[in-house]
Amino acid sequence: MLIDMGTTGGRVLMALIVLGFFVLAFGLIPLLQTLPPQGRRALIAIVTFLAGLFFATEFFLPLTEDDKNFLTPGVVPAQRVLQVIGSLALGLGTYGLIRLHLRNVVQKRGQWGYSVVLMLAFLTMATFSIWNTLAEKKLVAQPEFQKRGFTLLFDYTLVQLDASMFSIIAFYIYSAAFRAFRVRSIEASILMFTAIVVMLGIVPLGAYLSDHLLGLPTQVSPEAHPFSLESILYSLRLTEIASWLLNQLNAPVQRAIEFGVGIGGLAMAIRLWLSLERGIT
Amino acid sequence: MSYQHAADNWFSAIIIALIATAVLLNIARAKAGAQLYIRRIPGLDAIDEAIGRSTEMGRPVTMIPGLTAFGVVAVQSLTIFKYITKQIAKFVTPMRLLTANATVYAVAQEAIQDAYNEAGRPDLYDPDNVRFLSDRQFAFASGVAGLIQRERVAASFMFGEFFAESLIFAETGNIVGAIQIAGTVSFTQVPFFVAACDYTIIGDEFYATSAYLSREPVLLGSLVGQDIAKLLFVLTIIVGAIASTTLGQNHWFIKLLGMPGGWDAFWKAVFGGQ
Repeated sequence: MLIDMGTTGGRVLMALIVLGFFVLAFGLIPLLQTLPPQGRRALIAIVTFLAGLFFATEFFLPLTEDDKNFLTPGVVPAQRVLQVIGSLALGLGTYGLIRLHLRNVVQKRGQWGYSVVLMLAFLTMATFSIWNTLAEKKLVAQPEFQKRGFTLLFDYTLVQLDASMFSIIAFYIYSAAFRAFRVRSIEASILMFTAIVVMLGIVPLGAYLSDHLLGLPTQVSPEAHPFSLESILYSLRLTEIASWLLNQLNAPVQRAIEFGVGIGGLAMAIRLWLSLERGIT
Repeated sequence: MSYQHAADNWFSAIIIALIATAVLLNIARAKAGAQLYIRRIPGLDAIDEAIGRSTEMGRPVTMIPGLTAFGVVAVQSLTIFKYITKQIAKFVTPMRLLTANATVYAVAQEAIQDAYNEAGRPDLYDPDNVRFLSDRQFAFASGVAGLIQRERVAASFMFGEFFAESLIFAETGNIVGAIQIAGTVSFTQVPFFVAACDYTIIGDEFYATSAYLSREPVLLGSLVGQDIAKLLFVLTIIVGAIASTTLGQNHWFIKLLGMPGGWDAFWKAVFGGQ
């Protein structure tokens, strides 16, 4: 590292460099706004192409013995740039959220009380979170009430609310399954029958029904012919049928969908890289 | 290595190059004026019907890109939402676009504003209609579910990447009687959407949506390139199955197809016969 961060001078210099980049970045925004739309589009196309070219070249160039090529050291800093852009956008998102709810309160729009609750929750959580982060870095003191307050808000409120929302899905699965499994057509009937077999097959009840009630063999000798009575009876166990449905029918279909999605994503990425995609650009 | 590289698996690198070539060649063919066919996708035909219903009922349309981070999926989602917004602008229908990612939110604001401008109704654009709710999965889910319930939305479009929250959105929309059209690349969420939505766009149909809606030559050409790439995969599977059955697992050709490894492994397999 060229700058010694152990000294005050080094830290000040680094702070000035960061500040300089901020000024440069925010100064560029009005400068870019002055460009005509076609110029802006061309600039974006060039930056996109160069960034894509960097990652593609790094991906395809052979690696040396230390698992690197000459572009590899640039991968992590380039990804950090994306994180920085994301962080700036988070500020914009928060601003948008607060602006909307402030307007709701000031203009007393319908159900503005919810907006008050949101802003109070936002302010309280932000205060305790920032305080906690600063205290963890030993920059400020951490009194007991702050520690308890943060635990109360984060562990005992936010995490529990998350868990509550997650558990609601169980009820939604029930109502969605009720509609999906209504026998209205041949397809729905096949779906319901298959679902029953799979559900029974993957729980202990399926094994109990096959092994104890129906008395089907629980194992088959490796020498047995695939079409022998022993093998056929073994294959009729609910666990085997469920496993066959999941691995021989369901998995290939899922993989086919994944192939399609992967190819579609790649085609989209190529169009974006070469600025052929005009949807939102 | 902690990141992906062509040297991890030369076969995938060659496949990527082949797909890219197929896509680019067909884009060039489409630009040159070739007539390309795209099959009917009922879910996309229903978009106008859903917007019409919202207009008649005077209730808003919601557009949800899910938890999509900014990338190709988000760009595709926003392209679809931009098309929907242009239709919405024609009928002065209220809309809400709800995001869980701040970068997607920033780009969505621009895209929706552009959509209103292109539709000739810049006066209808309200930045408050594009909302960033939260980047926490279930906080976002509760925010969306609350809005759908409070505003009794008439149509809900869910296009993007979804996880466990998908069913919360779809079932809440179902409860308020909204027409729902969903399209996702997350195949684990497809069954939930199929069960709870009126129309579901599955897998790579999601990427075909913009081509279907806009009929732009570049997008149609890209779609044909994707189909050729899929054909390549099918051929590889058939050739691989026949070859492994007839030649046996230890034949160099089978090892070549199934061997992960770097460029060294590739050259060795091709020229070293092993």
